[in-house]
Formats: sequence, structure tokens, C-alpha cells
Amino acid sequence: MGVSLGKIVKSNSHTDYICQVYGRNEFDPAPGVENYALGTFVRIELEGGKAGALVGLIYDTVLLNPDFGRLGPRLSPETELAMFTPDYLNERAVLVGITAIGRVKADGDVFQGVPLLAANSDAQVIQMTDDEIRAFHAYDGALHLDYLPLLAHMDHPLALHLSLIVLRKLGRLLPECATELAVLSDDLLWRTQIGPLGGMQ
Amino acid sequence: MSQPLGRAKGPGPTPHSFLFVSPDDEQKLKVGEFITYPVSLGGGQEEPVLSRITERRPVRLYPNAFSGDPQVDPNRIAAMVGYQGRSSELFEITAEVIGYYDRQLKDFVNPRVPPRVGTPITLAENTYLSDVLSRCKPDDTGAATIGWLLSRPQGEVPVAIDVGAVVSTHLAIIASTGAGKSYTASVLIEEMMRANNRAAILVIDPHGEYNTLAELPNAKQLCRDGYRPEARIYAPGDVKIRVGTLERGDLRYLLPSVTDRMDYMLGRAYRQAQNLSRQRFNSEDRWTRAELLGVLDRIDEDAEDNFDKGTIQALRWRLESTIKTGKGQIFDDQEQTSLEDLFRPGRCSVMQLNQIDSREQQVIVAALLRRVFTARMRTKNGEVGPDSDYYLPYPVFILIEEAHNYAPAGVDIVTTGILKKILAEGRKFGVGVGLISQRPGKLDSDVLSQCNTQILLRIVNPIDQARVRESVESVGRDLLAELPSLTKGQAIISGAAVNTPMLCQIRPRYTRHGGAEEDAPRAWVTYADSALARQREQDSALLQPTGRRNRLYKS
Repeated sequence: MGVSLGKIVKSNSHTDYICQVYGRNEFDPAPGVENYALGTFVRIELEGGKAGALVGLIYDTVLLNPDFGRLGPRLSPETELAMFTPDYLNERAVLVGITAIGRVKADGDVFQGVPLLAANSDAQVIQMTDDEIRAFHAYDGALHLDYLPLLAHMDHPLALHLSLIVLRKLGRLLPECATELAVLSDDLLWRTQIGPLGGMQ
Repeated sequence: MSQPLGRAKGPGPTPHSFLFVSPDDEQKLKVGEFITYPVSLGGGQEEPVLSRITERRPVRLYPNAFSGDPQVDPNRIAAMVGYQGRSSELFEITAEVIGYYDRQLKDFVNPRVPPRVGTPITLAENTYLSDVLSRCKPDDTGAATIGWLLSRPQGEVPVAIDVGAVVSTHLAIIASTGAGKSYTASVLIEEMMRANNRAAILVIDPHGEYNTLAELPNAKQLCRDGYRPEARIYAPGDVKIRVGTLERGDLRYLLPSVTDRMDYMLGRAYRQAQNLSRQRFNSEDRWTRAELLGVLDRIDEDAEDNFDKGTIQALRWRLESTIKTGKGQIFDDQEQTSLEDLFRPGRCSVMQLNQIDSREQQVIVAALLRRVFTARMRTKNGEVGPDSDYYLPYPVFILIEEAHNYAPAGVDIVTTGILKKILAEGRKFGVGVGLISQRPGKLDSDVLSQCNTQILLRIVNPIDQARVRESVESVGRDLLAELPSLTKGQAIISGAAVNTPMLCQIRPRYTRHGGAEEDAPRAWVTYADSALARQREQDSALLQPTGRRNRLYKS
């Protein structure tokens, strides 16, 4: 079982979700920064897991901090403030953007691409284990990356880098497919590293 | 089966071309190189489809700035900015489909559909190419192995051209000066003189550069089982043309400034001389120079006005001064070089025409070609026997250097008609012609286009390139684009004698090359050195008195 990362708090579209990462004292064990890194595969539980889960990728991280811009002096030190106004401290949060790239049904069947179902608010977001990632990609005797075009065409400055991170991760998890993955990685690497500098592509 | 070097991308710009993509790390996919892809012919049968690369276009290149400092490897810059990919270069390559080889048809059959996307593209294997590119195997009867495929290591894929096709459907060797025309022609002659071919060849050599073919009998590579090729070099005075074999057009062509009236008189005299010959020898080509002049004299006697007499005298003077017969002359009243001497299987005759006036050269060639063609026609039709002047019982091949002098563009000369006739009908009678020229632009386009096998070496002149492009249909534009960049000894071979056009490296000659240009600076230096040495010798002779002088001094 993977690490619970947080809950869905908002969505921008059918496939674009915002998850608030559990803060200190909100969940045990609290997720560490390495658990919600860019390019992390996550499950978004559908109806508590009864309808399976959406599979998503963390594509962005945003920090919420109401203190930002308040430059005036404080009457109480922060440690004392925590004792009297715990709600105030909770307004600080880490939000991660998740793009849905498929679905794992309750019976384990895998679908890649735009999922038909949408997650609810407060749906649990759980980091996928290596085995779950392998199962999501390698089925019917072949490696599947049907969602890669969705990533490449995301309207986001990190879209290509995200694809590259995914390919590298899969190359490590599925060494038997490393040659095929390297072809795609090489192209993305050229487009992310040389293309922007004026290389012909 | 070799490893795939690329994968098919899709159809190409023309109906029979396709595109494939390759990093070509080992730089094997050159323009002109042969590649294959598999095609299923049904029933589980799979055949390689041969294709030729016509264009390569980079689709991935570093920014120019990466190469801004010649001291810095752009790959290092790329690695520095995070690119550690497999290949910094990627090419989109266009290939023209030739087809799969049908062993029953002995030809390529185009599958008419491009390869499916993703079909593996491999470099054609040497053994496969050796098998399908040439119409015959080296050492087969009829094979002339003149070199090897340019894109492959020496000797890996021998290029054997079909001598039978060359003789029956003619040959053109075209190149700029110094690109290796006579060298290539000599290699072809050597191959045709091998024991497996034993051709009957005559070389028309206006510059006297084929004299080293006299070494043919000494070339061990050509001898086998007691066979040794013969070579005969006919110096300018050695070949005899009997005057009677000249046509009226030949005479008119040789005579300077012939007026219409003179031409009329010449026609009358020529016909009467032919009639006399027919009455005496039952053949109209045995008249002599003296007889022709005698006929003219009789016409002169019968002439009624002084104008005609003047015309006849002028014509007589022209004939006497131009058509000279006898010892040391090319034209002769009785003698003529026997065709069986000039042509014999296993013999290469070289007729040197240097030091001979160009018009005379043309008339000699015209008379000879006419004789050869008539002889082959009559022999083949059973009209003549072994005792006839026109008996030639085997096919022959005539290689003509500076062919543009014998079939010039835009004007008909004495040789044009007979050359065109041989090119059109020679196949039926076994008379093959090989035309060699450095100025295809000056060569009659009909003549060039009737040569169905082409050996094209470097051609730089745009007019010559254009003439080749319009006359040589079998070579694709991609290969013709290579013409100016070919180096010495590299040739495009196409046409009837090979299965598909290809770039070939001509093999080294067995005999010495006689067509090389004079090394002027070396000659100057050698001369100057020897002159200087002579001068020094003379100077030192003055400074060192002889013993006798010493004695005189003493006395």
C-alpha cells in the first residue's frame, strides 16, 4: 500500500485535480516531500475505492501561505500563536496538481487515457507503489503509454519534462522495455534540452 | 540478415519512392547505396525489395552556435546543457524502389506499394547485390567485370556487365577530359578479351592513346588454358581503304569547295566508274582512281562548252590532289585491309588515325563501318562465302573514340548515316558500337540515345550534363546529380547491360595506361636540369685544360 498524500480539494477540469497534501499532525504517517515529487504516480480513490481509482500524475506543486506579504511586526511569537489559534496555522498548505491519465477498476482492469469517471472532493490521493505502476503500464503482454500524448499536449510549461520524468521512471521499473522507452526519451530530451536553444527538430 | 539501419516512415515524393528515418551512426546510408526491406509475396514467401537511396535530409541538428568554436566539440556543449541522448543526428532518407528480383524473369519486379510504416530497412547484403545487380556472374561467358560497387569495399560486390547486351544494343562512354574515359574503355576491352569472351574488337583511335593495348597478350590475367589474346596496332599508314569502296558522298566530302556543277559531274563520273567495275568484276566497288579520272577525261572530251570543261578540269584537279593512292597512302586502288585481319575473335585491333586530316578520318571510318555492316549482313544472309571480301562470320564490336567527330549534333556528315544505321539495325547482324566522347553536348542526341548501355564518368559542363540527362533515360536524376562530383575511375553504369543503374569503381588496368596527359612541369624541370648540366659541363671543360694543352704550355 502506498503512502496517503492528501485529499482532492478542487478540480480545474475533468482531468485536472488539485490535492492538498496532508500537513504535520494531519495524517500518520505524514507524507514526506519525496512522496509527492513531480511525476509521482498517484491513485485517486473513487467512492472510497469501491469503484476503483483514477490514476494521475503530479504535474505541479503550489505552496499556500497567508503570511506571504505581511511584513508588519507580530505581537506574539509563532510558537505561542500555535497554542491559541491552530486554525490559522492550518491555512498554510502544499497543493499539488494532478492530471488524470487513466483508471484502475475495482477488479484490477486498467484503462489508459481520459477517464470517464471523475473523482469527488475529499477523495483520497495515494502514492502508487512500483508494482502498481508496473501493473498500470504492462498488461496484455506489452508496455502501454496511451496517455503520453495527453501529457505532451498539456498546456503547462513542464509538460515535456513531466513526460521525460515518466519515461525515465518507467525505464528503471521496466528494464525489458528500456530500448523502446529510450527512443521516446531521446526525442523528448532533444525537444526539452536542444530545441529551445535553437536546435533543428 | 544484417541489423536494420532504419525504419520506414511512409511514402516518398514520387510514386515509387518511400521515406525512412535513421540515425545512420556508421554513415553507411550514402546516396546511391542499396538497401532492402522485406515484402511478402503470399504463400509464406518473403523476398527482399531492393531500393536505392536518392536523398538524405537531416531532421535533427544542433544549433549553429554549438559549433561556434572549432576547438570545442558540439557534443560536449550538448552534454553540458543536459542532452545525453543516443544520437545528435537523425536523417530522413528517400529511397527509390527498384523491386524484388524475379529469378524466372531475371529482372526486378516493382511491388507497387511502399513499405508499411515501421518496416525495417537494412543495408543490402554483398552476396545479394552480387547476385542481382549484374546480369551475369564474373567469369561467365559474356561477363565483363569492370569494377566493383562504389559504396562497398574493393571487390566485395563485383560489377559484371553483360557483353552480349553491349554488343547487340551498343554502348556509350561519356566523361569530361581526364575523368578516365580511355582507361575505362581499356578495362572493358581487357574484359572482353578474356578467355571467357574472346571478342573481336576494333578501336578507332584518333589520338593514338590505345597503343598500350599491345600489351594485352602479356596480361596473365587474361590468358587461360592456352588462350592468349592478340593485339594489333595499325599505325596511320597501315590501314588500307580501297578507293572503290568510297561512296560518291565520301568523295564529295573529301574534296574542297565542290560546286553543284562539279557535284553533278562527279556523280556522272562515279556512276560510269561503277558501271565499268560491274562489267569487269561483277562488283561495283572495284573501280580505281585512274579509272575515275579516265571517265572524267572522256566526259571532258565530250563536253561541248568551255564552262563544262573548266568544271571538269577543276574537279579533276581536286580529285588528284585529295585522293592519293599507292604506297604510304591510306587509299589504294587494289589493296584493302581484310576484315578478317581487323576482326578476329580473341583479337583487339587498334586503328590509329592521328596525323590524319579530320575529314579523311571521317571518310575512313564511314567506309569501314559500311564495309563491316555490309559484310555482316551478307554473311548472315548467306550471300557471300569465305573467299569474299565481305565474309565476316562472327559478331564484331567497334569502339569509336571522340565519337562526337563522327556523329556531331545538328549536322549530318559522312559517318552519321551509317552510324545511325548500325545503331538501329546492328543488333540483327551482330555489329556493336561503343561511342566514347568527352562532349556529349556535341554528339547527335539520336545517336546517344540509341546506345542502350551507358558508362558515365565525371561530367562538369552543364550543357553536357543536360544532353546526358535528355538522352539517357535509364539513370535517375539522383544519380545524374552525382556526375560532377565523381572522382577519377568512378562511373555510373546503367542500361541494358546491368539490371539497375549503379555507381561503380572501375578496376585497375592490367595493361599500362597510354592516355595520360603530359606532366608539363616535370618535363620543363627535367629539360632545364639537363640543359644546366650540359652548360656546366661546357663551362668546366674550359676551366680544366687537357693534358695536351699542358704539354703545349710547357713547350
